[in-house]
Amino acid sequence: MQQRIDRRRLLVGLFAAATFTARAQTPAFALEQLMQLLGQVKTGEASFVEKRYVSMLERTLETSGKLTFEAPDSFMRETLKPRHERMAVVGNMVTMSVGSRSRTVPLDSVPEAAVIFEAIRGTLTGNRAALERHFAPTVSGAPARWTLELVPLMPRLRELVMSVRVSGQQAYVREVVVAMADGDRSVMTITPVIADPAASAPAR
Amino acid sequence: MTAPRSRLLAVALWALGILAAIGITVRTHFVADLSAFLPRSPSAEQAVLLDQLRSGIAARLVLIGIEGGTPETRSGASLAYAKTLRASGLFDAVHNGDNSAFEATGKFLFEHRYLLSPAVDAQRFTVDGLRAGIDDATSLLGTPAGAAIKSVILRDPTGETVRMAESMLPTQAPKSEGGVWSSRTTPRAVLIATTHADGGDLDAQERALTLLRTSFAPYEAKGLRLLVSGSGSFAVASRAQIKSEVERLAIAGGVAIVALLLVAFGGSLRTLVTALLPVATGVLAGIATVSLVFGNVHGITLGFGTTLIGEAVDYAIYYLIQARTPPGAQPGGGAQRWLGASWPTVRLGLLTSVCGFAALLFSGFPGLAQLGVFSIAGLVGAALTTRYVFTVIAPDGAPGMGLRQRLGHAVGWCTDVLPRLRWPLVAVTVISVMTLALLPSPWRGDLSSLSPAGADKMKLDADLRADVGATDAGTLIAVSAPDEASALAQAEAIGTRLDKLIDSGAIAGYESPARVLPSPATQKARQQSLPDAETLRTRLAQATVDGPLPADRLGAFIADVQAARTQPLITRASLQGTPLAGAIDALLIAGSGDRPWRALLSLQPGAKPLDAAQLRAAIADVPAARVVAIKPELDALYARYLHEATLQALLGALAVCALLLLHLRSWRRLWRITQPVAAAVLIVLAVLSAAGVALGILHLVGLLLSVAIGSNYALFFDQIRDQQERQPPGTKLAIDNDTLASLALANLTAVISFCLLAVSSIPALYAIGEVVAPGILLSLLLSAAFISTRRG
Repeated sequence: MQQRIDRRRLLVGLFAAATFTARAQTPAFALEQLMQLLGQVKTGEASFVEKRYVSMLERTLETSGKLTFEAPDSFMRETLKPRHERMAVVGNMVTMSVGSRSRTVPLDSVPEAAVIFEAIRGTLTGNRAALERHFAPTVSGAPARWTLELVPLMPRLRELVMSVRVSGQQAYVREVVVAMADGDRSVMTITPVIADPAASAPAR
Repeated sequence: MTAPRSRLLAVALWALGILAAIGITVRTHFVADLSAFLPRSPSAEQAVLLDQLRSGIAARLVLIGIEGGTPETRSGASLAYAKTLRASGLFDAVHNGDNSAFEATGKFLFEHRYLLSPAVDAQRFTVDGLRAGIDDATSLLGTPAGAAIKSVILRDPTGETVRMAESMLPTQAPKSEGGVWSSRTTPRAVLIATTHADGGDLDAQERALTLLRTSFAPYEAKGLRLLVSGSGSFAVASRAQIKSEVERLAIAGGVAIVALLLVAFGGSLRTLVTALLPVATGVLAGIATVSLVFGNVHGITLGFGTTLIGEAVDYAIYYLIQARTPPGAQPGGGAQRWLGASWPTVRLGLLTSVCGFAALLFSGFPGLAQLGVFSIAGLVGAALTTRYVFTVIAPDGAPGMGLRQRLGHAVGWCTDVLPRLRWPLVAVTVISVMTLALLPSPWRGDLSSLSPAGADKMKLDADLRADVGATDAGTLIAVSAPDEASALAQAEAIGTRLDKLIDSGAIAGYESPARVLPSPATQKARQQSLPDAETLRTRLAQATVDGPLPADRLGAFIADVQAARTQPLITRASLQGTPLAGAIDALLIAGSGDRPWRALLSLQPGAKPLDAAQLRAAIADVPAARVVAIKPELDALYARYLHEATLQALLGALAVCALLLLHLRSWRRLWRITQPVAAAVLIVLAVLSAAGVALGILHLVGLLLSVAIGSNYALFFDQIRDQQERQPPGTKLAIDNDTLASLALANLTAVISFCLLAVSSIPALYAIGEVVAPGILLSLLLSAAFISTRRG
């Protein structure tokens, strides 16, 4: 296990070097490589600050809290400010809790919600199949600073969400920008709780 | 020879009776729904269940699957197909996950949000409550979920729409793909429809199903496949199946018996027609009597009735052979001789059969009672025809000899050989008893064993149900109350108790009529918690300070709240004609006369299976509430059914014994007769249990039949033995080979008709066939073996 991961990291390093040297010649850093890179981190915790720009509101909505995920399919977003709220996805079930109210629904029964969850969960866990099921993904940049542009495949969803842009550094997601079809936008800035990437990846 | 007037009168009466029976038969209503095989006097829990099975929403549900093609063609077909079905008027509701179809529902809910939203109370309209509500609602903006509420947030800033949707949306929602529901396991789009017609109205159900198929033709042309399931489709299919099966059985049974009679009576057509008279009389008498007593005739009764061909023809065979004039005797005396020698035995046989079937009359199940009435009327009709009509029209029995001579010899040989096998046969019986004692009880059939739907259909049904999240064998809480208001109030009381179980994770969720239609008291309380315009304006101004929504844009909200303060309350009646009527009708069953109002709350289990005891404890302080766990309750229903039938069968057997004792006045002869019959029953039971057959109610009916028919053979052997014993010792007495031949022939016809039943595809019928066919064959053989007759 240890050896395989090390080899993979070596590979990633080589790709990085290749990109660096070969520059614009070939799209060397593609989805496959990004997914491998992200897939190394099996579990993680991060804090987030989300700003939502909604045309009909007087001011920007700001929330903050923490994100945790665990491969293959668990993801939780816990909002701590301005009030406590929790959304946990495990497999196909999503549980939303506000105060004492809690509701569990199958994720695939609400494609509108599924699209956002899958974008973040799929990226965090490096699940290429999940991403390609819902989106047309485009990768740009290099491992040191990459951007993954996700456009929903289903026309009905494109009526709601124009794109989800995820960007990050190495195996870490740093920002998720959701552009709504009506011009509203949310920007989530993510800070990994474990700062040293080298320490976290082989931890499992 | 001139027949006395009284005899001709008997024939005339018979002819009249036949005409009347034909008249009744052509007017008879034939039914095929299996509810006839459900009990009449159920417990309170079972009453709820049967209500649901017979006329509840469950009986009107049609599950539809669309397979083949691509996801896009499937979702396109689902959208268009649902539109066609909704327009047809045959369905109260058609759901396929297409939310655009629920604009009217959404509008109704939105207009009544201050009566319906569970969040509305006095606290909700304080400054803090308003601020929390606005935070709640606006937190959804800027997410995909926010798109839906954006257009209404200025009229509904506290998000009551969202709260209503949360409480009403099922937790087991189907997967949504391309805007319509689809299966999670198979590439298929799924829909559910509720027929307008009652589940029991099979003609209307059939019309709805036909419409389903014809409307699907255009999509079928595009390579898509339609799958339909649901209790209505089961009932319609089983009716059709029973109908074709009964026809097939009647034809096959008729042909086989006609062929046998032709062989046995040397191809005499006259004899054949004569022999079929008691059969026809019996069947007509059976149908007419059942029709008069019950108002309808069940398909299963008819299918079962085809075996009457095999039994009724026995009487004809006994008479036609036994009344034959022996060589050298005066012609014309056969009838008199038969009346003296054999009729008492035939009559006793008839009475024992009637005794056996009479047990079924007292069962609490209309379906079984029908079988009993049918058999009694049929047998009595056939026997009386033989007794009063044959003695006039065929005073000398049947002339033809055919193969009877050989048959008689063969049987004669058997009666020589079989008694020597007596001890081995006793050993077989003992082994059977031991097998029965050692094996676990084979009486484990369940209610589904009565349904003619095959395993593949059941699987499709289960699959489609899983796709749409409509679990069938779930758990209900039922509460009855004298009126609508208290039924709903009780449902609310149960709801608050269930909410605690959701919090503790004991259940995942529940559906309650009070979610769609809160009790008048609750609606009133919500209305009274709404502040007047001035108060609301002041509080809103404070609540929106530094908030995302400024108070001055919320004028429509204040107006809507004011309108809601005087809005008429929603009742079940006012929901009629709205898209919510179907939802409420399924969960709130209106009372009438002395039938109470009933609210039903269906539960969705959490990660662990539901614990009925825990549920009962949780709602113990709502006295009128009852937990109905459908599967255990159905099992209990069937167990009670089986227990009751076992008791009746035992009573029937006891009555048969009492009758024999009364008639024979000899314990010894009674013992002689019961031996072979009891041994036959035990051996059949042992073989079936060893083969792993799950025995149910119909096997029990089969055993009763085996006893009723089998005892007739034993009676004849007993009669021969008795005659021998009355002779002074040393007297030579030739056993009438013809009597033995008539027994063998009668047995053969009955075995054939029950064998036909045993290969039927209807479980109710093959269960009877697989017990009776071997049972009566064994009864004859064991009678020959155990009641040994000394041959001259």
